[in-house]
Amino acid sequence: MEVELMHQPGNSAARMIIPAGETVTAEAGAMISMSSDVQIETTTHKRGKGGVMKALRRMLSGESMFLNHFTPGANGGEVIVAATLAGDMMVYDLDDEELVVQSGSFVACEEQLDVDMNWQGFKSLLSGESVFWLRIRGTGKVVLSSFGAIYQLSVDSEQIVDTGHIVAFNETLDFTISKAGKSWLQSILGGEGFVCRFNGRGTVWCQSHNASSFGRNLGPMLKPR
Amino acid sequence: MNTHIEGSPSFAYIQVDLEPGESVIAESNAMASMAGDIDLDTKFNGGFMRGLLRKFLGGESLFVNHFTNNQAEARRITLVQPNPGDIHELELNGDSFCLQPGAYICSSPDVELGLQWAGLRSGISREGFFRLKLSGHGTVWYGAYGGMITRQIDGEYIVDTSHLVGYEPQINLKLQLAGGLFSSFFGGEGLVTRVEGKGKIVIQTRSLSGLRDYMNPRI
Repeated sequence: MEVELMHQPGNSAARMIIPAGETVTAEAGAMISMSSDVQIETTTHKRGKGGVMKALRRMLSGESMFLNHFTPGANGGEVIVAATLAGDMMVYDLDDEELVVQSGSFVACEEQLDVDMNWQGFKSLLSGESVFWLRIRGTGKVVLSSFGAIYQLSVDSEQIVDTGHIVAFNETLDFTISKAGKSWLQSILGGEGFVCRFNGRGTVWCQSHNASSFGRNLGPMLKPR
Repeated sequence: MNTHIEGSPSFAYIQVDLEPGESVIAESNAMASMAGDIDLDTKFNGGFMRGLLRKFLGGESLFVNHFTNNQAEARRITLVQPNPGDIHELELNGDSFCLQPGAYICSSPDVELGLQWAGLRSGISREGFFRLKLSGHGTVWYGAYGGMITRQIDGEYIVDTSHLVGYEPQINLKLQLAGGLFSSFFGGEGLVTRVEGKGKIVIQTRSLSGLRDYMNPRI
């Protein structure tokens, strides 16, 4: 497929041009428009391989339980997808490799890619930000979204990233969930809490805004449901 | 210290390159990413008692973080604000500037963060009973929800409550009705802040309370 990003960075959307015979998998609710002859199939996981356990895992990971698979008609077609929060989008072309994606940033990918939970992601449960990570593996394009702008961080010596600001990172990187300062007390009092320490060589894509922080500003002002 | 504001105006963030020995002081939770060997020191925001006052009366954090580069080469840290919007940079040369609660992001080490009684009226108009006063020599970065408009005023000027971001300290804030009784309560403007004096004020083009009022009937 070909992907054209539009209206970056504030109101971005991704126009995916899908040739006949290809299928694109997208997060439930991500589609905003499409050609009339595109067929949608909803499954709990990879097409033809939906299992209850995998669906449960996806539910735990903070992703919605269902994925939609879009298959165009004989002449191909287009599907436009977008995220919920205001922000930028990016396309990453995997070449027989693995990308770890923060679950809320996943929008769509070519169907042959394997979307799976990264069980290491459970480490981040500790961070209290309920950030879970998906592992996307294979060869093909993946479309990601962010809250705010996206900036790249090339890691060749240790880099620290706040867990709420990670969009995605190369699987070649080692990471540990850790404290930002010298002591836990300082890190928690200073509001930096848990961070991710990246080592090795690779890229981390960061987002300029943290949905949890914005939520903490707005949330207390909203009336209880 | 080499700094760039990127992502303006909707998603502004600050790239700070610290030379060896340099520090930057930042609001709690402002760090998005940094080199692994930058040292983080968490300190009370101007001493224990003053820190407590700032937190409970000024709406600021009890702690601020000091980030220091103790390495032999420059190191980068990226600082952000929670709300989508713009960031401005302000040079202080012995003068001061007042910021509304939540607007402060970071500053160079020689800038003093002080708390000052803003007056009963300011508190009632929900602009906060205390105001954060920045003074000294150095640079301050502050942010807003939305874009920012700078106005030089001489005399009186009226700003909708919760849209004020910052102002020079000689300016006074007063609360009043936007118009007559009718237009104030049915015209949606309600209470406004009347700023008086001569100097610079900064206004944000969006407000969280505006978003709150839009969302609350819908949830």
